[in-house]
Amino acid sequence: MTLAPDVDPALGRCVEATRALFGAAACSIALVDEDGGTLEFVASDGVGSQEIVGVTIPVSRGIAGWAAMSGQPIAVRDVQSDARFARDVAESTHYVPDAIYAAPMLDAQGEVLGVASVLDPTVDETSDWTLHVLGTIAGLMALVTTATATPSGPAAQPLAGLGGDILRLVESWRAEQSGGSE
Amino acid sequence: MTLTPAWSGAFDRGSLQEVVGLPIEHVREWAFAGATGAGIRVAIVDSGIDAEHPRVGGIAGGVAFELDPSAELGYVEREGPHEDLVGHGTACAAIIRGLAPETEIYSVRVLGANLKGRGALLHAGVEWSVERGMHVANLSLSSKSDAMFAPLHEVADQAYFAGTVLVCAANNLPGPTYPSQYASVVSVAARPGDEEMTLAYNAHPPVEFGARGIDVDVAWADRGSITATGNSFAAPHVSAMVALMRSKHPWLTPLQVKAVLQAASINSLAG
Repeated sequence: MTLAPDVDPALGRCVEATRALFGAAACSIALVDEDGGTLEFVASDGVGSQEIVGVTIPVSRGIAGWAAMSGQPIAVRDVQSDARFARDVAESTHYVPDAIYAAPMLDAQGEVLGVASVLDPTVDETSDWTLHVLGTIAGLMALVTTATATPSGPAAQPLAGLGGDILRLVESWRAEQSGGSE
Repeated sequence: MTLTPAWSGAFDRGSLQEVVGLPIEHVREWAFAGATGAGIRVAIVDSGIDAEHPRVGGIAGGVAFELDPSAELGYVEREGPHEDLVGHGTACAAIIRGLAPETEIYSVRVLGANLKGRGALLHAGVEWSVERGMHVANLSLSSKSDAMFAPLHEVADQAYFAGTVLVCAANNLPGPTYPSQYASVVSVAARPGDEEMTLAYNAHPPVEFGARGIDVDVAWADRGSITATGNSFAAPHVSAMVALMRSKHPWLTPLQVKAVLQAASINSLAG
């Protein structure tokens, strides 16, 4: 797991947990800058995490930008065949995925704070259930982001451990799943 | 406040609940058979449209709303051609063109290379659609801003009474989103299946209709195509259905359009 400087570890635990939940190659969070024009990857877990953190892209780039602009969770398969896919960004991480799920992180006022992305999830369905899950998690990530942006605020303390709680739940669930299948 | 908006999961988990529709015989044939969308103006309120994309085949016109802090309303309106910044609007336009080939498609660009002011631009785009007499406006985007609840509600009501059917994608996020939450619009979520013209009615609104939106082959920027999933792609299927029925039956009002859509749903029983 990789974090940008000054980013709360709670966000790192969020991406770890989400990657585990989806059985994905990677999960990352990109936040919108103050001007609203760019997304900066600030937390990532999985393949290419060291390379992607710190990368900045315009909000109109790639699948993440698509989710940020429309405010809608989106899943795309076969992104490698797509000319507009941010291939240069993916190649810089030495991993070009086949599938990307992305969901906007919205604050309480409905403003887009960032985007949560999942690369090559192994949990998949021929439904949009997985988008519901990611959309819900992205909402929680926005909550963590809002709280940690003002670490002295009264809301920060109760939320600081939220990422850890999610991770423990996921690990417990996965342990049950693997135990049940043996 | 609604804590649990009707997820599109209502459409994809086993059995659909049957609903009673109006007793219209052969309603699908009556509504859609032989229709092309001719004479119907459809606005795609989105990121712009690549009019040259082979799956779009040209558009009738367009307008772009862009943020401008020095303007009285905080944004400016630019009539004329523009590009699609990401491909989202092109995807929606191509779905509609594929099902209703003779519709007049208008690009109403409200999404830009900056995320600020999304709600105000969305409102401006809907208002333009009503003022220009669009028969259908496709909104595969939404706002969660509480501050936009009232302004969007007001313009959605104006659209309803003016005869502009707003077809809005629901959102896979917790809590209400606008304008898909309003009773005056046709709200749509994705449901599995390859049938482009199949509809399902949700017995537990506010999300009322389910249409194709899972693993859809859609047009995208740079004349390309991708396979995508999302409510964004379900809404244009319903927009096309509305365009088809209104081209056959121009007298249909938004009230009647919704009743016909419900009667044409696969889980609708003759009343």
